[in-house]
Amino acid sequence: MSKLYPVQEIGSLAKPRWRTKGLTQPLSSKDLVEAEEWAQRLGIPDFQDRAKQLLAAQEQNDRVRELLELSTIYGLRLFEQTGLDNVGVGGEQQRVEMYEHVIRGVEGMRVLGHVQSFDYKYFNKAVAESKIYRKHPIYLQEFLDVKKNAKGQLKVPITGPYTLVDWSFSGHYSGGRTSLSLKKQKQEAKREAEWIQIDEPAITTHPEPADMDLFVESWNETVRGFNCKFSDHTCYPSEIGYKVLAQYAPKLDKCTHLALEFANRDGTSLGVDAKHREGYRDLEYFIQNGYDGEFGVGVVHVHDFSGHVPPGSGKEVGRNILESPELVRDRLLYAAKIVGDPAKIWANPDCGLRTRTWDVTFAKLISTVKGAELAREASR
Amino acid sequence: MSPKAQLGGIYPRSEQLIKLTRSYDRAKTDLDTVKKQIEQDTLELVKLQDDSGFETFSDGAFAWQDQLRPIVESLDGVTTGTRYDRWFDTNTFYKKPTIAGEIGVQAFEPKNFIRADLLPRTKGWKVTLPGPYTFSELSENLHYTSQSDLLSEVAAAEHEIIKRLKDAGVSRFQLSEPCLVYRPYREQALGKAELDNAFAALRKTVDGIQAKFSVHTYFGDATTILPDLLKLPVDTVGFDLFETDYSKLKIETTKKLALGIIDGRESNAENPKWIAETATRVSKHVIGGDVVLVPNSDLKFVPRKVADVKARALGDATRLIEEAR
Repeated sequence: MSKLYPVQEIGSLAKPRWRTKGLTQPLSSKDLVEAEEWAQRLGIPDFQDRAKQLLAAQEQNDRVRELLELSTIYGLRLFEQTGLDNVGVGGEQQRVEMYEHVIRGVEGMRVLGHVQSFDYKYFNKAVAESKIYRKHPIYLQEFLDVKKNAKGQLKVPITGPYTLVDWSFSGHYSGGRTSLSLKKQKQEAKREAEWIQIDEPAITTHPEPADMDLFVESWNETVRGFNCKFSDHTCYPSEIGYKVLAQYAPKLDKCTHLALEFANRDGTSLGVDAKHREGYRDLEYFIQNGYDGEFGVGVVHVHDFSGHVPPGSGKEVGRNILESPELVRDRLLYAAKIVGDPAKIWANPDCGLRTRTWDVTFAKLISTVKGAELAREASR
Repeated sequence: MSPKAQLGGIYPRSEQLIKLTRSYDRAKTDLDTVKKQIEQDTLELVKLQDDSGFETFSDGAFAWQDQLRPIVESLDGVTTGTRYDRWFDTNTFYKKPTIAGEIGVQAFEPKNFIRADLLPRTKGWKVTLPGPYTFSELSENLHYTSQSDLLSEVAAAEHEIIKRLKDAGVSRFQLSEPCLVYRPYREQALGKAELDNAFAALRKTVDGIQAKFSVHTYFGDATTILPDLLKLPVDTVGFDLFETDYSKLKIETTKKLALGIIDGRESNAENPKWIAETATRVSKHVIGGDVVLVPNSDLKFVPRKVADVKARALGDATRLIEEAR
C-alpha cells in the first residue's frame, strides 16, 4: 500500500442481537429496530427490502442465509464508514467464533462443552475422537458474500492449524502433537483472495523448540503452492512469546506481515520514547532477528479496561478505554521508529473487537483512522 | 495406604452459569440471577464431593475470574488494570497484577474467597491460593527494588489473608506454586538463591497459623525440588504426576503426598481402576507418608461435565484402594 500507516481490521465484530436471535427463531419487526438504526448510520439503502425478505422467510435456511449475508454487509459497511483501508471479511459475522467455526466443519472432532478463556468469555472446546478431515467448506460462502458486497480491499482471516490443535483435546491423537492438515479450508478462500491472514494466537503457548518447529512446519505446509499475500496474527502470547516468535518468524514461508497485540501491554500516556511506549519494545526482537516484513501494530485495546487515562490520551467510558487519535499516533510513530521504516507499519486493533459494543468499536476505529492520519502528517 | 481425595482451585462453571455470565456481560441478565446460579453450582459440587466420600471440601471458586484475582482485590498497592496474560500453556488468561506500591491487606469479605455459607459444617473446608512465589512471578513489579523484598511482602500479605480465612472456618489451605516447576516463560533457570527466597516466603506465609497446609506444584516436573518441598512446615506436598517422573523417587517422609493424578488439561476421563493402580504404584516409592488423590491442577481447563466425571473417578478410586486393603 502506497499510503503510510494504512488501517486494517483484525478479526471479529460483536454479533448484533437480531443476527443471533434470527439464527434460531423467526424475527419480528421489533427485533429489527436496532438493525434499522444502524442501517441509517451505515448507509444501507436497501434495508427495508431486505428486512421484508427476512421477516417473510418461511424456511429457516432461507432466513439464516439472508441473515448471514446481511450481517456481513453491516460489518463491511461499519469498517468502510470508519475509513479502514482493509475491511477483512466484515467482522466474521458468519462464524460462531474462530475456533468453533472450523471445528464444526471437521469430521472426527466432537465439541465437549465450554471452557473459560477469561472473565466471562468462553470457548467451546472439542476433542479429536477419530481421524479428522474436512466435512464441508468452512469459509467459502462468507468469502463469496464478502466479494459480492465489499467496496474496499479484502483480507480473509483463517484459524491456523497449530492453534486448532492446541485448543483441542488430543484424544485420538494422544501421545503426539499432530498438526491438523486443513489446507483445504484455505483453498476455499484462496479462490481470488489476495490476502489471507492466518490467526495463530496459540503459538508460543509452548515456546519449546519442538513445538515452535511444529508450528513452522504446519505454517509452511498451509501456504505451500499459493501465491497470495499471507500474514500471521498472534496476540496475547506468553511472557516471552514475541521474543520466541521473532526467532521463528523469518522461517515462515510467504509471511510478509505480522499483526501483533501491543496496546494491551502499553501505558496510556502520550510520548514516542521507550519510557512511554514500553508495550511496543518487543518489536525490537523481530528486527534483531532479521524479519523484514510489515507489521500490523495493535494500537487500541480490545478488552475491558480499568486504569488511569491522562488528559489527551483518551477517556474511560464504562469498561472501555477510548484511545485518542494522539495516543494512536504516538504508538504508530514509536513502532515506526523501532522498525526503521514507516512504510512497513499498519495500524489495527490488538485483536478482533467482538467483546465491544458496535458504538465502542465505531469510536475506536474512528480514532485509529484519525491517529493514522496524524502519524502520516508527523512523518511528512 | 488409605488415601483420601480432594479437589483444589477453580472448578469449571456449569453450562447454565456460563450462559448466564455471558448474558450478564451483555447487560441482559442481572447480577442476582448470576449469583443464584453460582450458589447452585456450589451446592452441586458440594453434593458431588459428599457422594464421592471426600472429607475436605472445596467450594469450586465459581465466582473467581482467575486464580489471582481475589488476592489482588484484597490488597493495597496492587491493581489489575489493562493487561491480560496467558495462564501458562493453556488457552485461559488472567489479569496481570501490577505491584504499584507498598503491599497491604484491605478489609475484605471471607466470602470473596470461600462460600462458607454453602459448605457443610461437618467437613473441613479448603481454599486454594497462589503461593507467594507464583503470585510474584506472574505480577508486574513496579515498586520493590528486589525480588526478595517483593516475595517477603507478598508472603506477609497472604499470611494475613490466611489468618482471616482461618478465623472464618477454613481448615486447609493449598498454596499452588506452578512457577517453581514450570517456567518456559522465563529465560533463566531457577537458581538456588531464588529458590531459597521462594521457600522462605512459603515459610513466612504459613508461620504460626494453626491450619493444614499443602504446597502444590503442577505443569512441571517436581523431582528435583521435592526434597526441599518436603522440608517446608506444611503437612502435604503435591505434584503433577503427568509431568513428574516418579520412577526413580525414593521418598522418606511423614508428610502426605498429594498426587496430581487426574489431568486438568486433557478430556479423557481417568478410569478409577487406573487411578487406584497408579496411586498404589507411586505409593511404593514413599516410605512413611500417606498419599492424597487430587487433580494435577485446577479443573477449569476442561468443560464441567468432563470435570465431574474426573472428580467422581477420584472418589471411586479411593474406595477401590480401600477395598483392596
